[in-house]
Amino acid sequence: MSRHWKPFPTTLCVIGLSLLLSATVVDDAFGNDSTNAGDEQGIGKQLYYDHGCYACHGYNGIGKHNIANDVSGIMSSEEIYLTFLRARSELNPPLPSQKMPHYPESSLSNAKALQIYAYIKTFKDTPPEVDDASALKAILDSAQERESQELSDP
Amino acid sequence: MSSNESDNDLVKASRETPAESGGISRRGFIGASVAGGASTVLPAVAFGTSNPRSDNRRPGSTPPSAEKMEREVGSSIPPAAVHTVRRAASDLMVQVLRDLEIEYVALNPGSSFEGLQESLINYGDRPNHMPEVISAMHEGAAVDMAHGYGRSEGKPMCALLQGTVGLQNASMAIYQAYHGHTPMIILAGNDENNFLKVHTGEDIAGLVRPYTKWDAQPETLEETLVALQEAYRQSITPPCAPTLVVLNSEIQKEEAGDLQVPRYSAPVVNGISKGQADAIAKSLLNADNPHISVGRLRSEDGIKSAVTLAELVGASVDSMATFGPMSFPQRHPLVGPGADKNYDYHLGLEIAAADLSITGPHLKAVTGRDAAGIGFGWKEDPNLRRRPTPKTLITEDAEASLPLIISAVEKRLTDSLRDSIAARMKVHKANNHSFRFSSLEKSIERKRPGWNGTPVSLARMYAELWPMIKDLDWCLASPSNFTGRHHRELWDHDKPYSYLGQYPAAALGYCLGASAGAALAAKDRDRIVINIQGDGDFNFMPGTIWSAVHHQLPMLTIMHNNRAWHMELMYVQYMAGVRGRGTDRAHIGTTFRNPYINYAKLAEGYGMKSEGPISGPVEMVAALQRGVDSVKRGEPYLIDVLTQPR
Repeated sequence: MSRHWKPFPTTLCVIGLSLLLSATVVDDAFGNDSTNAGDEQGIGKQLYYDHGCYACHGYNGIGKHNIANDVSGIMSSEEIYLTFLRARSELNPPLPSQKMPHYPESSLSNAKALQIYAYIKTFKDTPPEVDDASALKAILDSAQERESQELSDP
Repeated sequence: MSSNESDNDLVKASRETPAESGGISRRGFIGASVAGGASTVLPAVAFGTSNPRSDNRRPGSTPPSAEKMEREVGSSIPPAAVHTVRRAASDLMVQVLRDLEIEYVALNPGSSFEGLQESLINYGDRPNHMPEVISAMHEGAAVDMAHGYGRSEGKPMCALLQGTVGLQNASMAIYQAYHGHTPMIILAGNDENNFLKVHTGEDIAGLVRPYTKWDAQPETLEETLVALQEAYRQSITPPCAPTLVVLNSEIQKEEAGDLQVPRYSAPVVNGISKGQADAIAKSLLNADNPHISVGRLRSEDGIKSAVTLAELVGASVDSMATFGPMSFPQRHPLVGPGADKNYDYHLGLEIAAADLSITGPHLKAVTGRDAAGIGFGWKEDPNLRRRPTPKTLITEDAEASLPLIISAVEKRLTDSLRDSIAARMKVHKANNHSFRFSSLEKSIERKRPGWNGTPVSLARMYAELWPMIKDLDWCLASPSNFTGRHHRELWDHDKPYSYLGQYPAAALGYCLGASAGAALAAKDRDRIVINIQGDGDFNFMPGTIWSAVHHQLPMLTIMHNNRAWHMELMYVQYMAGVRGRGTDRAHIGTTFRNPYINYAKLAEGYGMKSEGPISGPVEMVAALQRGVDSVKRGEPYLIDVLTQPR
């Protein structure tokens, strides 16, 4: 557990206080879901946006690095998630990088980090099967047809 | 005095020396030829010199006359008789370009080339054709157009620029074209009598000399015509690159008299020797499992030769067609690992290969042009990092070498060899088919995540577009390194111009101009151009939208609108994290917020059909179809799509 980690009940209290005090408007040009800015999910969404998580993980957890559907082991528990967030400053050299930034508690409190965590946990991606995605199916069918034609050519 | 005598006197007056006229000197003819080291150095033109003029003459400091001032602000025009000529010198310049089959001259008008511009639009039986004047809203856009055209067709078009100011506006685009090894001819007007002395200079080519291959500043009409031909020759001779001719404003307006356009002789591009070709042919035919890697060749002819060679020797092939133009067709049956990846002879054509590589001279071999010692760096192509180090490297042009190798192979082929090669090719085809299809299936699995998400996933954007264009002749002109490169796996890159590749110098502001240039090439060839356009890049020179409408270019622009200079956003986020100061202000200076930009409205303002912003995938699919239908009719179209960031 990270030394920054606070016991869960304390965290809950902080989240609750934040909920009471926060009435932020989600500055999300892309937001077209029914999330309310004032609820917990809305606060998490706002933080996810403000801290630029979307930059690599997409607006729905699908992006350069996918985190939807709990695919990332880092999201398997709050402890692991927080430990990962706090342990990155010495891992990467200060060169131009698109790697995951370091998030010290001074810039992102545990409470806020966990609100983001809770929001990420809501990401569910249910892509269609290839047969139900007409473009993907057309690409496969077309490739199959072309390759078969070439194989039959003398 | 007869009118002829009058004309002659006027011509004579215009050719007076500085001392005679008391005016400003005509610039010396500066021709900085390519330096030694490149194996394809052409014979230096007689009037060339490798150094800027060394005298101390400077543009005069005499205040402009009232007449000149009035002319510059458009209040008056020059007296009609002053430059009345029977046969305009600039007509001959146009004839040279026409003979060289230069299709387009992109320009932003200036006050140093009205002579040439008038000839471009009025000279000949079919004026404003071959070349046709293309209106560019910025000199950088003019050069980017020539860049996109050059990458697409493998031959030059022209960009015509105004003196010092136009050259400097264009400099970044020239730099990018240079690093792209892209042939183009840059013409820069220089009017030493212009009252705006800041538009003139003693050696204005020096502004861009370190990143042009060759330049000249001719002093006479005859020299000018020769210089134009030499600029073309130098530009298309490996290493291909932009070349520059500084056109004296007064020479353009002279009487040409009986002067004839000099005969043009095409450059001789060196290839390997016959002995080397024989040795390579022998190695290819002796191998049980030869493999050929094909990089970027110069033209479609080179690609045809590479295909011929691969089929003759039954080699499996790897291609760079998904990385840039002029490579082996991606879906050719021989492309793939083949029957066995343990190759016993690996030949590289314009790319590294384990046994022997033939790669033409690099621009690094063109030395002596960086007089200021700036020491520009070179961008390593990340796609080439893992290439093997060749046992043998021959620095000659691969395309010029291929006919000799093919001929040597044909001479050595026996019936027995033909039979074994045919059998090997059959196995290659089957294995490549299996490999390619399973690779495609895996790729498609990777494209599914986020398929129904809003905003649209970039994988879905590329996937949905492909069935709409696959039966058309198309060109993807925009770099895809910021949009996930999904076309590499999903689309078929079988034409020399299927994909024009990355930003050669990683410099933004390129996409719109380059796509417009590719669309110029496409316009009369029943081809359409796809431009998947980053918003950060778009905002450098959005005026190119108007150029595309004005010239009715078949260009479909699909905005990759992530409302940011996104890579830099991630860099700042990372740096804030390293310093422990938080990422919540990383958007400052890296994003387009407050207000958001409406690209559809912006395009509409320039006269382009457009729609958006669209963030839902279903709406995007319908819009893409409308866009494709529009460009098929020759009408450019823009769709503003709000996308996932990457």
